[in-house]
Amino acid sequence: MFAIEKPLPRANEDTAPYWAAAHKGELRLQRCDDCGHVRFPPSALCPRCLSQHHEWVKLSGRATVFSWIVVHQSQHPAFNGDTPYNVTIVELEEGPRMHTHIVDCPNDQIRIGMPVEVVFDRVNDEVTLPKFRPAKSK
Amino acid sequence: MMGSLSGRYAIVGVGTSRFGKLQGVSTMGFTLEAAKQAIEDAGLSRDQVDGVLVMMPAIMGEQHGWAARVAAYLGVEPTFSATMDLGGATACGSVQTAMAAIDAGYCHTVLCCFATQNWPQGVAMQLFGSEFQVPYGDVGAICLMAHIKRRQQYDYGYPDELYGQIAVTWRQHAQLNPEAQMRKPMSLDDYMRSRWVAEPLRLFDCCPNTDGGGACIVTSAERARDLAKPVVRILGAGQSHSSEIIHPRGAEQRSLGGTKAATMAFGMAGLTPSDLDVAQIYDAFTPRVVHDLVAYGICASEEVPEFVTRGNLTFAGRLPSNTAGGLLSEGHLSGFGHIREGVRQIRGECGDRQVADAQVCLVTGYGGAPHEAPPTVSYSALILAR
Repeated sequence: MFAIEKPLPRANEDTAPYWAAAHKGELRLQRCDDCGHVRFPPSALCPRCLSQHHEWVKLSGRATVFSWIVVHQSQHPAFNGDTPYNVTIVELEEGPRMHTHIVDCPNDQIRIGMPVEVVFDRVNDEVTLPKFRPAKSK
Repeated sequence: MMGSLSGRYAIVGVGTSRFGKLQGVSTMGFTLEAAKQAIEDAGLSRDQVDGVLVMMPAIMGEQHGWAARVAAYLGVEPTFSATMDLGGATACGSVQTAMAAIDAGYCHTVLCCFATQNWPQGVAMQLFGSEFQVPYGDVGAICLMAHIKRRQQYDYGYPDELYGQIAVTWRQHAQLNPEAQMRKPMSLDDYMRSRWVAEPLRLFDCCPNTDGGGACIVTSAERARDLAKPVVRILGAGQSHSSEIIHPRGAEQRSLGGTKAATMAFGMAGLTPSDLDVAQIYDAFTPRVVHDLVAYGICASEEVPEFVTRGNLTFAGRLPSNTAGGLLSEGHLSGFGHIREGVRQIRGECGDRQVADAQVCLVTGYGGAPHEAPPTVSYSALILAR
């Protein structure tokens, strides 16, 4: 039998700067030059004002838990060995919400509203996944 | 403008293929079975169909020209055809599209249909989804719906028993439906003991996988009067598309996605939720029912537990719903089962599960791309009446 590898991001023109920053240990998203909106997922246009001008700004890495689930029945063979695992939606201090894992915290202690901070999980020489852990700093 | 179509079009035929766990049948085979049944139910000849709308098969990957191929297999040369991609919102959405196409003069009689084969032959297993979700194991509709249940329970304090009561009620209805996929009696205890699939979503919050197809036929109310069955007019239709779970948009983020579709459908019909006699609510998962009860104005968020636990969704209640068992117990027919049951209730064809004097039926749909970023979902609704 062969192991089914976990799917990893394959970046495109819009998303490559996000993944490159993560690999360097920074959480960066596009901030619109015209209206200041910080957006996620990365996109060619600002969804608020449709401006194409933006800057990739470094974020604080601070967030709160918006929703969390614990997957018990794997939805894809690549994750069969990981169950039960959490998938959490965090709301970043700058506004956007994103899917992630909470680490350094038992699943049954995750709570909505819990303060968390970004950590970087280096998967291989090319890919790093941003994850979050309970906030230590204020 | 919208109001001008109200009552001028009708659903004249409904059908399904065999459905259940049927691995050997092709997606096309199911589609054709369902289409033939709907054409025969209407008392039409195949040659009277000149519009064909088909839902994009979700499991099969890229399928160019799918709707035109369905037409070709049926021996029909339509003057209007499209493959539609609203997921579980396609059934109601395709009926709405059919009305507009007929009104525009593009065609006269439209076949709307779908099929799913969950184990398609000759197709490699593919993993769809976003680079921002799938690497974290957030795969498929189950994960999105678990997040939605989590937020419903957090925001409104809904107990698990609320969701269980919905599943149990539909199962009771399925026992009156010989075709239903899930007929084994289920108690609230059975629900509460069912395992986590994606906590807080339990096994019995989820519908089964269903292999099968469904179809309906739309034409003018005028033509409908010459056909086989009692006329079921479309009084209202609406749809809306949003990504509210993860895409905060200021004050709007608290609004429910289905509200706009509901406002359109009821506004077009000139009716309110209190006019409904029966409802078929899109229920691939129990939190969907909770959402639609609120979004469609049937009860307020804080009233949902009392409304449901008092039995208002049963045959004895205020709004008998999912009278064939819904996706949760009849089977996942992508909303075409709901249209079939809605039409049959209005016609008075439902036998043991007939709602007395059912004159107005709401049918809702829901679907989309839950594992894309942002997760986008489509809402659709029809109001059917005598």
